[in-house]
Amino acid sequence: MSFTQQKEDKEREEALVRDLQAGNLEAYDQIAELYQKKIYALSFNLVRNQMDAQDVTQEVLLTLFRKINTFQGKSAFSSWVYRITLNASYMKLRNKKKEPNISIDELLPSFNGAGFQQEKIQDWSGSTESLLFTNETREVIKKAVDLLPEKEKVVFLLRDVEGLSTEKVSEILDLTVPAVKSRLHRGRLFLRKKLSGYFEEYSSPKGEI
Amino acid sequence: MICCKECIDLLFDYFEGSLEQETKNSLEEHFQDCPPCIAFLNTYKSTTLLCRDTLNQIEIPDEVRLTLQNFLKEQKAQQEKK
Repeated sequence: MSFTQQKEDKEREEALVRDLQAGNLEAYDQIAELYQKKIYALSFNLVRNQMDAQDVTQEVLLTLFRKINTFQGKSAFSSWVYRITLNASYMKLRNKKKEPNISIDELLPSFNGAGFQQEKIQDWSGSTESLLFTNETREVIKKAVDLLPEKEKVVFLLRDVEGLSTEKVSEILDLTVPAVKSRLHRGRLFLRKKLSGYFEEYSSPKGEI
Repeated sequence: MICCKECIDLLFDYFEGSLEQETKNSLEEHFQDCPPCIAFLNTYKSTTLLCRDTLNQIEIPDEVRLTLQNFLKEQKAQQEKK
């Protein structure tokens, strides 16, 4: 997206927020139209079921409507929307039984005393294409993401999946930029390790296993 | 000469294209002598892209869209009554 486009979007968004704050209900529809897909997608990736994601989306839209006058414009409106979405999703998850968290450190790469990698690394990156769109692969990927610890997962979803900038994610989560980068890197290492088990099995030439 | 551990610490910035030229050169020098780190880099990149492409496809199902539309209508109607 070009800089001018971003600026125009921002101005349009700010105008909508002012309109809604002034009680213009048309603006509510437009804000909902602009954001409901983002709200639904982020909450779906956290709660992983349609009914709960729908509930979260409704709650967020309602909060935007009722609390619009508490939005002071200190951060971008979109950051406020994302924060409300995260909080509503976490509230939803709080009522569910949680799977035990895996320690991320156990899945990070290990090195010997000289700083060389200790495990055998297989390059499966060339053989993912034929597997990418199978349901099994999608399930493996979703399961791996579900297993990510919360801190890393939220950064991964906002930055890698939603495609927001590191700076934007740091604003939403009130973290420093280096903290965002470090969590994202750890998250990716965790996912790489989780996916390796699956893809290595499929990319091994027959007879070599 | 950097080791594999340093190499993996630098992968994030390398992938972003935000490494300083000198560091980037030493990293690429390391890759030349270290097939496991190239494999690691390739699979790190693939992981990021695969996860993104799998999870960013989410669309609002039609029935949810309808529920949301009705919900918005109700909210607006309530507001207008006030």
